[in-house]
Amino acid sequence: MGISTFSGLQTTLRGLLAQQRALDVTSHNVANASTAGYSRQEAVLGASPALKIPAGAVQSGAGAQLGTGVDVLSYRRMRDGFLDLQFRAQAMRLGGLAAQVRGLEQVEVALAEPGENGIAAQLGEFWSGWGTLVNAPENQATRQALVERGRGLAASLATLDSQLVAAAEQASAEYTALTGPAGEVGLIAGEIAKLNEAIRSSLSSGAAPNDLYDRRDQLLDQLSGLAQVAVTDLGDGTLEVAFGDAAVPLVAGTTVTWPQALSEPKGKLGALLALTGPAGTVAAYRAELDTFAQELADSVNALHTSGGGPAFFSYVPGAAASTLAVAVGAAEVQTSATPAVGANDLAVAIAGLRNGAADQAYARFVSRVGTDMSEARRGEENAQSLVLAVQERRESVSGVSLDEEMTNLVRFQRGYQASARAMTTLDEALDVLINRTGRVGI
Amino acid sequence: MSTRITDSMVSRTILRDLNIADRRLSQTQRQLSSGKQLTRPSDDPFAVGRAMRLRSELEATRQYRRNVDDGTGWATATEAALSRISDIVQRARELLIDGGNDSNGPVAREAIATEIDALTESLKQEGNATYGGRYVFAGTATETTPYAIGGADTFAGNTATVVRTIGDGVSIAINVDARGLLGDGQGAADNRLLDVMRDIAENLRGGTPADAEALRGTDLARLDANLDELTRVRAVVGASANRLQSAGTRLDELEESSLDLLSRVEDVDMAAALVKFSTQKSAYESALHAGASIVQTSLIDFLR
Repeated sequence: MGISTFSGLQTTLRGLLAQQRALDVTSHNVANASTAGYSRQEAVLGASPALKIPAGAVQSGAGAQLGTGVDVLSYRRMRDGFLDLQFRAQAMRLGGLAAQVRGLEQVEVALAEPGENGIAAQLGEFWSGWGTLVNAPENQATRQALVERGRGLAASLATLDSQLVAAAEQASAEYTALTGPAGEVGLIAGEIAKLNEAIRSSLSSGAAPNDLYDRRDQLLDQLSGLAQVAVTDLGDGTLEVAFGDAAVPLVAGTTVTWPQALSEPKGKLGALLALTGPAGTVAAYRAELDTFAQELADSVNALHTSGGGPAFFSYVPGAAASTLAVAVGAAEVQTSATPAVGANDLAVAIAGLRNGAADQAYARFVSRVGTDMSEARRGEENAQSLVLAVQERRESVSGVSLDEEMTNLVRFQRGYQASARAMTTLDEALDVLINRTGRVGI
Repeated sequence: MSTRITDSMVSRTILRDLNIADRRLSQTQRQLSSGKQLTRPSDDPFAVGRAMRLRSELEATRQYRRNVDDGTGWATATEAALSRISDIVQRARELLIDGGNDSNGPVAREAIATEIDALTESLKQEGNATYGGRYVFAGTATETTPYAIGGADTFAGNTATVVRTIGDGVSIAINVDARGLLGDGQGAADNRLLDVMRDIAENLRGGTPADAEALRGTDLARLDANLDELTRVRAVVGASANRLQSAGTRLDELEESSLDLLSRVEDVDMAAALVKFSTQKSAYESALHAGASIVQTSLIDFLR
């Protein structure tokens, strides 16, 4: 069997088409250089199946194979799945720590420590109020000033407590908004399910839907900031996505199961849950604040009532910080166990409570908030830099480098030009064959 | 495969570095403008705990200082009253020696007795000395007049101690026992000043040889004993005043050193912060400069 006269033309045509495809891919890459989540693509070229030439084709009498040019084997998406896993693990950490920092920041700002307006300063003034009363127990104005300072301190405690409650409520509202029917989790899950469907049908018709893969990976990245995400390939191009510690996978193929109850989902949702709730950080802070308020009230009351007088502070046990109030008027402030107006033994004792158990309880509370906050912030910075490092590595594999694309552009353009040139040469050869052969002497 | 560096990596890196430099710069700027290096508990939880403790100690020191000031005022008022009492008793002693002379007739003795009566009332007046509206000799019954002027000589206050706290657990008594000095008058026959003064006036008016004998003998001896007691009490008050003064000096020093410590914990070292600021500023400018020149060029500029 001979070889067609025109097979050379076919070979150059393949070359032209393949280079054109490669140029198209390059243009696609350049166009998407700044698209978030885009992975660069590559036209994989390979030699097309050779023509078999039967025995006797070469000098030795054996058969041979004649190359037929080039084909685009596939359009490859440059992506490293392992880096995606790493990125999602770090994004989950970062999401959690960032949410924790934002929640704690609210608490910290509410404290207003160290400063002239914090509770520590007001507590100092309260003790000084007793100190001044020691100097002038018979003075009504001094008593009134003390009562006012006590009231101011109680009001500040109640305000701080309500700000803690507000911080917890805000975190809880954010959790509800994220996990609700119209929340981010539900929307992302729905979109992933739709993409699963589109990818499956696209694969069954034989085409690799690279851009759909990119979109799905980006959604998984977003989801991993919210909670722990585990992805399983179901084999037909669809994914099963396990979310946090939800009982049923969030997405299985094209099915979405949401909302579901989460207890320790990690990520942002995990941090929000850890802030709120009866065993949450804010609840622990409030308990410490209550301990402080109770310590303050009890230590003052114990001395204040020791002469048979009324209690100075009143509070509801278990909610001391929010219910602390001064229970006496200026005239009922007890300065002494004896009836003499100038006696000050109780006032001396109460003024001596400064820097005692109550002050220490408050200092412990502030120090705990500060330590939690600085740890969370350090963790956030650390997670941030890890996320960036993984992102860099992923970008290094999947990102579009314009310099590279320009080089490719030149390469494929030259390839196209050369193929066209080869075709011209063949055409000229055929011209001689077809138009001039056998016309000698005409 | 070597690491590929893409354009978005370059721009992201530049952006991140600029952000970091900017954040550091604004942090230093905040420290410089506020003068504080601690603005939140998380800046340095340990230092903030220390600052809170120092602030609280400072507040206590200031309160002790106020207590000392009040105590000093009280002691000064007491001392002034005791000094005047001392003068009155000295005058009474002169009159007593004068009145003990047999050369004085009844009229002259009556005149002396009248002056002694007036001096006795003055003594009670001094016993009612006040500081800031409070009777300094009334013990803790500071709003009760100790002696009724023109009335009975009985002491209406109490003998409880008035104390001021001048340090952690350190208290000092600032009042004196007026009853031990002036006493409850003739009715009590307690040999205190009022009792003796009333006896002297009575003996002057009596005119019998026994009265004259008493004036020269027992009355003079009892008055001198009271003068000794007065001197002792004045020494005690003087000692407390000294103690208050030295406590005040010590508290002033303590306040100063606490302020110094607090400033070292809380405040920014301006010189160091300024040096840091200019270093960070030049780092920021270099980052801007490098970023601007890297982002500008690419292969596109060189392809025909």
